[in-house]
Amino acid sequence: MAKGYRYFEAVEKHAGKLGILTAIMVSIGGLAEITPLFVEAHTITATEGVKPYDPLRLAGKDIYVREGCYTCHTQMIRSLRAETQRYGAYSISSESVYDRPHQWGSKRTGPDLARIGGKYSDDWQRLHLLDPRAVVKASNMPGYPWLADEKIDSDDIVARMYALRKLGDPYTDADMAEAPAALEGKTAMDALVAYLQGLGLPPSGEATAP
Amino acid sequence: MNTFWSLWVMFLVLLNAGITLFLFMWAQKVEIPVLEDGTTGHVWAHGVLREGVRKLPGWWALASAVFFVWGATYLILYPGFGSFKGLLGWSSHEQLAIEVAVNDANLAELTTRFASLSPEQLAVDPEALHLGERLFVDNCAACHQRNARGNPQLGAPNLVDADWIWGSDDASITMSILEGRQGIMPPLGSLGADKVTDLAHYVLSLSGAAHDQAKAAAGQPEFALCSACHGPTGEGNPIMGAPKLADSIWTWGGDLASIEHTITNGAHGVMPAWKSRLTEGDARVIIAWLRAQTHDRLARL
Repeated sequence: MAKGYRYFEAVEKHAGKLGILTAIMVSIGGLAEITPLFVEAHTITATEGVKPYDPLRLAGKDIYVREGCYTCHTQMIRSLRAETQRYGAYSISSESVYDRPHQWGSKRTGPDLARIGGKYSDDWQRLHLLDPRAVVKASNMPGYPWLADEKIDSDDIVARMYALRKLGDPYTDADMAEAPAALEGKTAMDALVAYLQGLGLPPSGEATAP
Repeated sequence: MNTFWSLWVMFLVLLNAGITLFLFMWAQKVEIPVLEDGTTGHVWAHGVLREGVRKLPGWWALASAVFFVWGATYLILYPGFGSFKGLLGWSSHEQLAIEVAVNDANLAELTTRFASLSPEQLAVDPEALHLGERLFVDNCAACHQRNARGNPQLGAPNLVDADWIWGSDDASITMSILEGRQGIMPPLGSLGADKVTDLAHYVLSLSGAAHDQAKAAAGQPEFALCSACHGPTGEGNPIMGAPKLADSIWTWGGDLASIEHTITNGAHGVMPAWKSRLTEGDARVIIAWLRAQTHDRLARL
């Protein structure tokens, strides 16, 4: 079988060939695991009750992303008893069709937020964002006091709504027309609190806290 | 997963397994020509490193064979090979349902026992207290603090004293927990700063706290507004969630500045409804834990 040895030699003595063949073998796993989900993700539709973000919550979602909340908080309750007992029903993909990008996260320094909406009052959320230690003494979350002084630019949010509509989110012309009034005088803090208070609401329900 | 993607996954799985299995079976048999010095003649670093020939160690070959068998068995029993569900029919959601059922069954004896006892009786039951404390820490401590002493910045009352804004009986507290409460006091800033200060001194006088007597006397007539909810002597009204003012326990802070602030701006305390997160049985053990904390605290005083 001295002939077979030549193939090994050809690969082993040429870094280029070795690299290409290694890349092919490694990519097989990715092609099998990632490609189908990647393509099928676009066919997932919203479950009943999951609606595109209203303008204020949309602004809040972008602030959540901008401030990097996802680096410490997940929005993904796994189907494990310890998690469903603490955070509520496990997350399903159709709940996050309007999240671009999704905020599932993979690192929990703080608790999961997938169903935080209505758990605490608006006042609690506001005070907690201004100074987490004012409500939870042992908290190591940073404060975000500047959010209270930052005005929301309604033109910017309406432009984002048009962009999202191009991507397929069902915003109507009436939604666009009503947005500036809904954002009038609102701060980044109001927006983020509204976003948090809307997270994971049951399809039928409104927030349990105002 | 549709048929195309299912076949796609199956093809790639078989391709990957096929290539690696082929290399595993064939590569061990390939004869490698050896030079007189016992090496293959491959050199690196100008001959400092030379490649010898050793057979694949037996443990390595065996481990690889085990992995092949393990992988194939896994794909036969569990989901993973395209849309094939596996012979066991396992799913993570079903696994969760089973674990929840097992846990509920384990707890059934406890929950049945708890249901037959009042929170006061449960307040001496170590298992109920353990459960109650866990639930309190997970759900209530964010506003009422870990030690249940409350947070005046949120109007979250102290839960281990004798003062209950919405009623101290078990039924009222259960209602507060499951349905939530909203205590709303309208702002009276329109009275003007001076009258607000006078009124605040009068409010302080109701509990015998240090106050300016002249200002309190001047503020007394304004208290007619307040008495509609707080009562003529400031005894409070649990039906409206109006706190008692004639004692030293304060919901939004009891110093002059805090009272002035509350009168000027009003107050809106929100206790969210917990019925979507907690059951009546959960509320029962939480109340039991609070009763036990209260007894502890009063015994120490």
